[in-house]
Order: sequence, then structure tokens, then C-alpha cells
Amino acid sequence: MQKKMVISVMSKDRPGIIADVTGALLELGGDVADLNQTVLCGYLTMILGVTFPSDITREDIFASISHVKSREKFELSVKELPETENFNDIPQAEESYILSLQGPNCKGIVHAVSSICGRNNVNIIDLGTSLQQDRYTMAVQCSIKDATCTLEELRKEFEEYGRDAEQTIMMQHYDLFRATNEVTLH
Amino acid sequence: MLRSDQILSTVEMIQKENLDVRTVTMGINLLDCHAETVAKTCANIEEKIHTFAGNFVPTCNEMGEKYGIPVVNKRLSVTPIAFVGAGFERDGFVEIAKALDRAATSVNVDILGGFSAQVEKGMTQTDHEFIASIPDALAQTEKICASINIATTKKGINMDALAMMGHTIKAIAEKTADNNGFGAAKFVVFCNQPGDNPFMAGAIHGLEESEAVLNVGVSGPGVIARALDRLIADHPEPGALQFDELAEEIKQTTFRVTRCGELIGRAVSMSLGIEFGVVDLSLAPTPAIGDSVGEIFKILGMDAIGAPGSTAILAMLNDAVKKGGIFASKTVGGLSGAFIPVMEDSLLAEAVGEGSLCLEKLEAMTCVCSVGLDMVPIAGSVDADTISAIIADEMAIGVINAKTTAARLIPVPGKEVGDSVSFGGLFGAAPIMPIRNIGKSSRFIAWGGRMPAPIHSFKN
Repeated sequence: MQKKMVISVMSKDRPGIIADVTGALLELGGDVADLNQTVLCGYLTMILGVTFPSDITREDIFASISHVKSREKFELSVKELPETENFNDIPQAEESYILSLQGPNCKGIVHAVSSICGRNNVNIIDLGTSLQQDRYTMAVQCSIKDATCTLEELRKEFEEYGRDAEQTIMMQHYDLFRATNEVTLH
Repeated sequence: MLRSDQILSTVEMIQKENLDVRTVTMGINLLDCHAETVAKTCANIEEKIHTFAGNFVPTCNEMGEKYGIPVVNKRLSVTPIAFVGAGFERDGFVEIAKALDRAATSVNVDILGGFSAQVEKGMTQTDHEFIASIPDALAQTEKICASINIATTKKGINMDALAMMGHTIKAIAEKTADNNGFGAAKFVVFCNQPGDNPFMAGAIHGLEESEAVLNVGVSGPGVIARALDRLIADHPEPGALQFDELAEEIKQTTFRVTRCGELIGRAVSMSLGIEFGVVDLSLAPTPAIGDSVGEIFKILGMDAIGAPGSTAILAMLNDAVKKGGIFASKTVGGLSGAFIPVMEDSLLAEAVGEGSLCLEKLEAMTCVCSVGLDMVPIAGSVDADTISAIIADEMAIGVINAKTTAARLIPVPGKEVGDSVSFGGLFGAAPIMPIRNIGKSSRFIAWGGRMPAPIHSFKN
């Protein structure tokens, strides 16, 4: 029986971090099933789904990664998945929409937008922001499959927030962005 | 997740460039509606349109809401009615037009095309009766559009039908004189008419098509104009941009615009369980500010539309639109080019008023774009033979160049050069276009018969 672990790692970015971490996991017999990483403000963070032989423990993983020679220590978190769960049990992004926001930078934008999502049981699948010359841009991919309100109500709520906060907010179906940016039309 | 710049480019296209789907047009075969009597045929037609298109408009609206892109026009096209009403007489065809109008109104579509005949080689007795019915049919209905195909590259031009067209157009205009001859704006004469065109007034459901099909017309020229504006603003230094880079921008924008049309068309098709036909790549202007092909001429360097260089610009625009659109869609069809309808494009109409755009230049421009002399208001006093002769020139361009051309001329009763006419809404407004050499073509039109099909080699 294999164990399924979800591992998150954060460190000051430098060349070789992914090689070091995956090397340490390989030494434990780990097989990386999925990995996602990003660099923000000079810090790398990555999350991995890894299967291990049944005798490997969370402590073994901590120890193995801690032994990687690095100027700065890795901040680590390890979670074992229950036997009943699989890495590919990812909820399908049905009824997935892209929320885009543009406007002057001000405090509380992410909180306000995510609160509207949370209040209406809209699940945020992905979120990215950028700030250029005091112009704030946010792109949010979210699923409205289990939303407790209609799409029209949700759009209206975002519209009202955008008006109050002087932000331009649009909510469009995810397929539209794929259709206009990808070569293959699904 | 897509990159944020990809997201923002699409958002800009939707938000700032007023992206929409210009039309979803459902084509319905009506051949099996023919019955022994006109009344039974009309009942069959209404029933069939209800069956296929009952949920059409709500579904288009629902998909527009879901994707956040409006479907501006919901239209129907039907089998050319001269085939459906074979054997009927003039009054019978008028009754069929009224039945079509009732059906179109009841399913809430904007307009219905296909009150049509195809007579490029010869005319049957039914065709004669049908053509004779057109003025009354258009005068007594609201949503019906008519078209006649009188020429093809394979068969040449039916000169007998051509001679009838001038008289038919004059009769339509006179029957609708209370509304400045508006009926003529719903009648178009074609060469090489496609059977899957979603745009009006020339939409038909061709005999080669299946039982029912959905064809989509993509967004208008405003999207292209805004994309060009943005590109030029990003490169303000002299010499920073060259013509090929502008062509590339048009191509890429058209790709994205076409994809939106394809996506929504397919969603409507799946929801209704009706086959998806084609995306028509035509850039169809509207009188709305910022939705003009004429504006693209100005952005690309024409200080006056119709000045030397206008034909070259239109050729590039038409070609770039096709290059971008064809890769974006599985099946492209219809007219697929840039339209230059004078009344429906505020800057083209303005150019006519300023005298920079004349009929002859417009005709030259139709050699490199779709679809032809479109929505051109002329003086009500222009004689029928001159109108037929103008159409003959346009048909010849289509026949020889193996492309679709058309003429939608509106002889406005009581108006002369110096006057203007306005139909309002999507049909727009324009000054009366001057016509030179009026009354000098009657001997040519009087020959009748056929202009033979051209040779298909030695193309110089």
C-alpha cells in the first residue's frame, strides 16, 4: 500500500530548488504525481502531490528535505491524504468563470472580491494579481457550480462593488478565454 | 490558468471594443411544406418554423448571458420560396410571404430571409409569378427579406431576369413610397449567392443544406478599428509601424473574434440539437458610432474614403480578415469579407455626402471585398433600365472573378441628388448617391437572353 502526501515548500528563490527538493523526495522512493510552483516577491513556493512506499512517514520527509544544503531553510508543510482520496480527485472546474478586475490600487480589494465569492459559495480555483504604476489588476478563475445565487445576481454584486471601489470588474465564461487564446477549440 | 495578459486582451476586446456576435441565423428547409393549396402550404410553413425555431431566440439570449457576449440579431433563413411554392401564382406567393411574416413574428426573430428565387440560367413560369409577387410581398410584410440570384460563374448572367430587376426594384420602392422606398432595402440581387449566408437581406437556406442548420455572423468592424487604434497608440513614433504589421493585427483580432462566434454558435447548436453550419467572417458595419468599415479606412491612412488607395486598403482588410478567421473556425462560409453598405456605415454615407465616394469607386472596391453595391440610395427618378445596367456591371464582376457580388439599390421616391434618406435603426441613413449617364443603357438591357459563362482559363 502506498502513501499519498501533499507537500508545500517555501524558500527564497534561487536556481536548483526544485531539483534539490525532488532529489530528496526521490531518495525516499517518492514519485511526484503533480507539482505546481510560483515565484512571488523573490520567494518560491511550490506544492507537490507525491506517492511514497508505505513505511515513509511525515517525519522522514521533513528530515530528508531539511538535509538539503541551502543558504536559507525551507519552510515545509506535509499532509497525508486519507486512503479514500486520490491526487486526481480534483473537482472539475464546471461552470468556470474568469473574473477580471482593473483599477487604482487600494487596500482590501482581494478581501472584498474573495468575500463576495465566499458569501455566495463561489469557489476560487486560481487567482493572480499584478501592480503596475499604481494600476491594480486581478484575474480570478472561479467555479459557480455550487453558487447560492444566480450568475446575474453575482455579476450585479461585483458590479456594485466595482462602482463603489472605482474598479472595473467583468465576469466572463472561462471557455471564452480559452477560445480566444488557444489554438485548439475544445 | 491563462496568463493575465491573455485574460486582459480578451477583456479589452469585450469591454472596450463592444464585442458581440452579430447574428445567429437558423436555416430551415421548407421544401416538404409544399401542399396542393396555398393555404395548406402556409399552415405547414408556420408549423415547421414553430417546431424548429420555437426556442431559438430564448436559447440565443441564454447563451449570450452565459458567455457575457450578446447575440445582437436572431434571424431565420428558409429554402428559396420559389421552389417551395412551385406551381403557385403571384397572389399565392404574397400569402406565403405573410405566413412567413407571421411565423417570424411568433418566434420573435428579427428578420427572415429566403423569399427568393434562383434564375441564373432560365426562369420557369413559377419564377415569373414569384418575381411579380415581390413588390406586394415586401410592402405587406415587416420581417421578410427577398433575394434573386440572376448570375453565376458557371452559367453567366440571365439577361431577361436582369431586365426585370430594375422594374422590380422600382415597383418595390414605389409600393413602399410612404416609407421612402424602404422595401427596396429588403431586396437584393445576387451573383453566386451562397446558401449558408447568415446576413440579410440575402440569407437563404440553400438546396444543398440539411434540414436545419445554424450559421453565425461574427462581430462588426468596431472591434478591428479599436484594435488598430490601440496598436497605433502603442507605437506613436513615425515609422514604428508598417502596413504588414497592421495587417497582422487585423488577422489576430479576427481570429479571436471568430472564435467567440464559433463558441457561442456551437453552444446554441448543442442546446437546440441543431447542426452547426458555418461562421461567416464578414465585417458588417452598423450605423452606430465606432462600428464602421469607413473608420478603418481612415485609421489606415485615408483622409477621404474613396480617395486613391481605398481599394488597396479594402483588399488588405478583406484578406486579413479571411486569414485570421479561417484558422479560427472549423467551417467558414457565407459571404466572409468586408461589407461596404453605404447607408449602414455612417462614414461611408458621410463620404458620399462629401463627394469623395462615388458609385464608380464603390463598384471598383466591390472587386476586392464582399458583397457589392449594398444599401445605395439613388434618386427615385432613375429609370429601371439604368438600375438593371448598374446591377449588370456588379454581376459581371462576380461572374468573371468567381466571387459573390450583389446589388441592393434603393430608388427613393421623390428624392433627388442633394437630398438624404433615413430608415433608422440598423438600416441607417445617407445622402442620395449621384448616378452618371442615366438613361444611356436601355439598348443594352433590351437584348435579353443570356450573357454566356466566362472561360475558366487565361485569367488576366
